[in-house]
Amino acid sequence: MNELIVPNLSSQWGALLPYLIVAVGGLLVMVVDSFVRTLKKDHLSYLTMFILICVVIVQIVGRRTDGDLLGGMMITGDFTRFFNYLFAGIGVMTTIFATGLYDREGRYRPEFYPLLLFSILGMMILVAANDLLTIFLGLETMSLATYILVGGVRGNIRSSEAGFKYLILGGFSSAFLLMGMALIYGFAGGTGFADIAHAMKTQNPDVLIVGLGSALMLVGFGFKVAMVPFHMWTPDVYDGAPTYVTGFMATAIKAAAFAILVRFVILMQPQLAFAWYPVLVALTILTMSFGNLVALAQSNIKRMLAWSSVAHAGYLLLGVVTLISPSVGGSDMMMRSQEIGESAGAAILFYLVGYALMNLAAFGIINVMNHKSGEDAVDINRYAGLSRRQPLAAATLGIALLSLAGIPPFVGFMAKFYLFSAVVRAGLIPLAVIGVINSLISVYYYLRVLVVMYMKEPEDTSYHGTELVSVVTSGVLALLVIWLGVMPDAFHRAALVIFRQIHF
Amino acid sequence: MEITLTHYLLLAMTVFLTGMVGFVVRRNAIVMLMCVELMLSSVNIVFAAYSRFHANADGHVFVLMNFAVAAAEAAIGLAILVEIFRRRRTVNVDDLKALME
Repeated sequence: MNELIVPNLSSQWGALLPYLIVAVGGLLVMVVDSFVRTLKKDHLSYLTMFILICVVIVQIVGRRTDGDLLGGMMITGDFTRFFNYLFAGIGVMTTIFATGLYDREGRYRPEFYPLLLFSILGMMILVAANDLLTIFLGLETMSLATYILVGGVRGNIRSSEAGFKYLILGGFSSAFLLMGMALIYGFAGGTGFADIAHAMKTQNPDVLIVGLGSALMLVGFGFKVAMVPFHMWTPDVYDGAPTYVTGFMATAIKAAAFAILVRFVILMQPQLAFAWYPVLVALTILTMSFGNLVALAQSNIKRMLAWSSVAHAGYLLLGVVTLISPSVGGSDMMMRSQEIGESAGAAILFYLVGYALMNLAAFGIINVMNHKSGEDAVDINRYAGLSRRQPLAAATLGIALLSLAGIPPFVGFMAKFYLFSAVVRAGLIPLAVIGVINSLISVYYYLRVLVVMYMKEPEDTSYHGTELVSVVTSGVLALLVIWLGVMPDAFHRAALVIFRQIHF
Repeated sequence: MEITLTHYLLLAMTVFLTGMVGFVVRRNAIVMLMCVELMLSSVNIVFAAYSRFHANADGHVFVLMNFAVAAAEAAIGLAILVEIFRRRRTVNVDDLKALME
């Protein structure tokens, strides 16, 4: 980036179009909201969904111009397209779940839609980052919008406190991330991934400055993915945020953070594999175990899912650890070890999609339960007898929770299967054993909700009420959970092809 | 005495640790926000010093972006704090107990 580069923009429009659509679309939603007075409440949500669907269509029919964008600041390819589809899908689902919110809160909240789009824009940029600066800007665009999504429900003190907690700890962690970036820049002499990769090859990477830098960056990413010991915000924020925002955070932010974490660890692999590998392994074990053990004690379903999301971050970190384990080798990988790395990477992609589907289905139902009772439907015991009052909602939540527990034939089982088999193939058998023990523990707290829903009689205080659109949407997600669990092969093969692209 | 890169780095680390300790020790939410800003500013020193050291502009660009993001973050933080203060009449983080189980 030393010499002045004038990017040849005309050839890059095609690849930039999805990003431009979301950015301009977010602004458009704001303008439409301010100036069109005759709008019905739902119209903004239709516009938002239309914008997100446009992204999908443009990516399907558009010309595929892969490679560097904007003078090497971004890089696009199958990997970024895959995540853009995922983010657009999660965005559409979140919009559907959120659209009923006016009735409950009795207040028109139009700023939700542009903020959702800006947050998604940040994620798309983050995943496409090919420069430390792009990582930073993407991460902050995503986070700043999410802070307001979490804390922006006026008059709701729980939401405000959750938002503030998320913001202050998020700022704290991005200071660490930035310091890490500064040190890595000091080591490499440039902020581009190409500069860093070059410096990793030509200079001795085992020096204090790059060791400290990569550790600090891991802290920053660890916060976003809720890695122990940087997870303390997770239960409070997931609990205090509106449920549809919680669903969005648990799926989209986790996916974006893991996407960039994977690219980062591959980039820094020569350094990470030696210096920080044992620490990462220890933190992975802690993340899985701590998340699952604390989830056992929760009686609040949102907090339970928050701790379960910590545990799932642990499973995903297993994949990341496998990716950089010394047995997978340095930049000059041998054929066999590269295969292991690819299977771990593909397992992460598969897991992220499966996790998004089952979590959105669960939060969609919990969101509806909030809906009619006028308060947060968080008490697990008050789900008693849901199966008799609303069989569809109960079945959907049940499928989502069983899938989260990793029980076949749902997608959660296949995701764990691919992940653990990659771990075993890399020779990390103790880690795989710990992972399996953890998923056995987790069955208990997921099943407890099912027992309450199906075995207990409904009481007067039980939650009830339906909002058909959200329930049906969640039901469709649950069907996808089953479908992907029964026929995972095609998708897994696609994930392998996608991941092969980012091995640089 | 000549001022070298090491001096800048030591200064930056001192400021960073000051912010970090302040964040952990102080309970006033506004002071905590200020401590985060302090940490972000210390990063700017590192970027500027290295930018000069490597004789390229990457670090300077980062400093400018960092200013903008830090300002945006402070704005959002203060907005949420105002909302909390209206309800609670305090900005002490120990009093933010709505989410405690």
